[in-house]
Amino acid sequence: MEERSIYWNPILERMPRERLQELQLRKFKRILRWAYERSPFYRRLYQEAGLEPEDIRSFEDIRRVPKVEKGMLREVQQRPPFPYGDILAVPLEEVTAFRQTSGTTGTPVYQADSWQDWEWWSECWAYILYAQGYRATDRVFIPFGYNIFVAFWAGHYAAEKIGCEVVPGGVLDTQARILKMQELRCTAFMATPTYVLGMADVARNKLGIDPRELGIKRITCAGEPGASIPTTKRRMEEAWGCPVYDHIGATEIGAWSYECTFQPGGLHVNEAFFLVEIEDMETGELIEEPGREGKMIITAFDRLAKPCIRFDSKDVIRWADYECECGRTFRLIDGGVIGRADDITKVKGVLLAPTAIEEVVRGFPELGDEYEVIVSKKGDMDDILLKVEIRPGYEGSREEILARLRDQLRLKTNLGYRIEVHPYGSLPRYDVKAKRFKDLRKRE
Amino acid sequence: MMDERLKEMDERIRELRRVAEELKDIGGDIEAVRRNVERILASVRILELNICDVEDLERDV
Repeated sequence: MEERSIYWNPILERMPRERLQELQLRKFKRILRWAYERSPFYRRLYQEAGLEPEDIRSFEDIRRVPKVEKGMLREVQQRPPFPYGDILAVPLEEVTAFRQTSGTTGTPVYQADSWQDWEWWSECWAYILYAQGYRATDRVFIPFGYNIFVAFWAGHYAAEKIGCEVVPGGVLDTQARILKMQELRCTAFMATPTYVLGMADVARNKLGIDPRELGIKRITCAGEPGASIPTTKRRMEEAWGCPVYDHIGATEIGAWSYECTFQPGGLHVNEAFFLVEIEDMETGELIEEPGREGKMIITAFDRLAKPCIRFDSKDVIRWADYECECGRTFRLIDGGVIGRADDITKVKGVLLAPTAIEEVVRGFPELGDEYEVIVSKKGDMDDILLKVEIRPGYEGSREEILARLRDQLRLKTNLGYRIEVHPYGSLPRYDVKAKRFKDLRKRE
Repeated sequence: MMDERLKEMDERIRELRRVAEELKDIGGDIEAVRRNVERILASVRILELNICDVEDLERDV
């Protein structure tokens, strides 16, 4: 009985691998048929590929199922029903929640979820939080601006499901949040790594409070890879005096991976709820062996309103060559998400595509063609410096131009920038491939 | 031992679904019944994912 206490569901989490794979194949067939029969988008996709649900009989057959890319999710939104498009696999009136992606890589993707899907979201997160030691005795603070981004919404519901007492720290500023955590003697919280470090900094330097004295016993991170980067994890754990756990999820996918209290250096994939395939980025070959990086193709078996089947996430991951002592049979990915297959990177917890900045900068006729973006760390926080040139003749409008530029960048990328104006013609020019985006943050 | 518990849980979950759906039918156009049963059924579905899917697999092996 004691042994089971670390598992949310020992039946699934300790399932023999062979059985687990049988379960995955069954569930893949089920969601594929669901989507084929109910979602015009998926039916078109599969019919164009000459694929019928009954063609899937083995894991090898799954490789024949067309992948879905983010651009396809954007395009389908142009079709009715508004605003999701005909990817929907339930009637619009069954949709009970709207969320969207950040839109930094282009038009935001709108995510439809039914109440059934929200039960599923929170169940996925319950696996995460329970594995990280959350129990009914925890008072959990969530310093998150509850909004259209999915972020910690499901973490909130899952903590409630586990029986925790949840304190929503929505509109409070950082100092007020820390004081509320202190006042209520909260035992856990969830935030991006950047914010975990930022809160510690504010506590120490603005409030004169040692974060280690606040009694926090566990922290769950999302949104950035920091909790899987050893030096950042160590910095957070030292600042707060407690374990910091990682988890990975995405708006279009769900919460598919989690670190457990054994902290083996990798994250368990919840293989009862998701199928993760790793594909070679050059050849498309399936990668089964540990240690070899590839991009993730993922299927959520039980997400119904807007199914996620073989989604090309562009996340770069690798299977671990070690096992976790926790006893879970779910495979581990080593070091979390270790990169992106394209140039998109996360800054301050927000996905940032260099092309989005280019789109904004190039939309200003008053600015020169060249610009440079430098992402670095200022203390524990990400910093973005944008260097631009103002064309001759526009210098007199400098402040007005920069104000509009800041507004447009904020609107387009959800991020704030330091902007430097350089003499016209002084920024580097390139003959072949430009290197305008420089990420100076180092991973160790 | 676990097999027996799994089977027993599976039976009870199926019973929960049957009873909830019957209640929904009896409730007819009473929104307070229909909507709350929908929520119950969403929770039942999560139990099915956790338990019944596994029992189905065991039964067919």
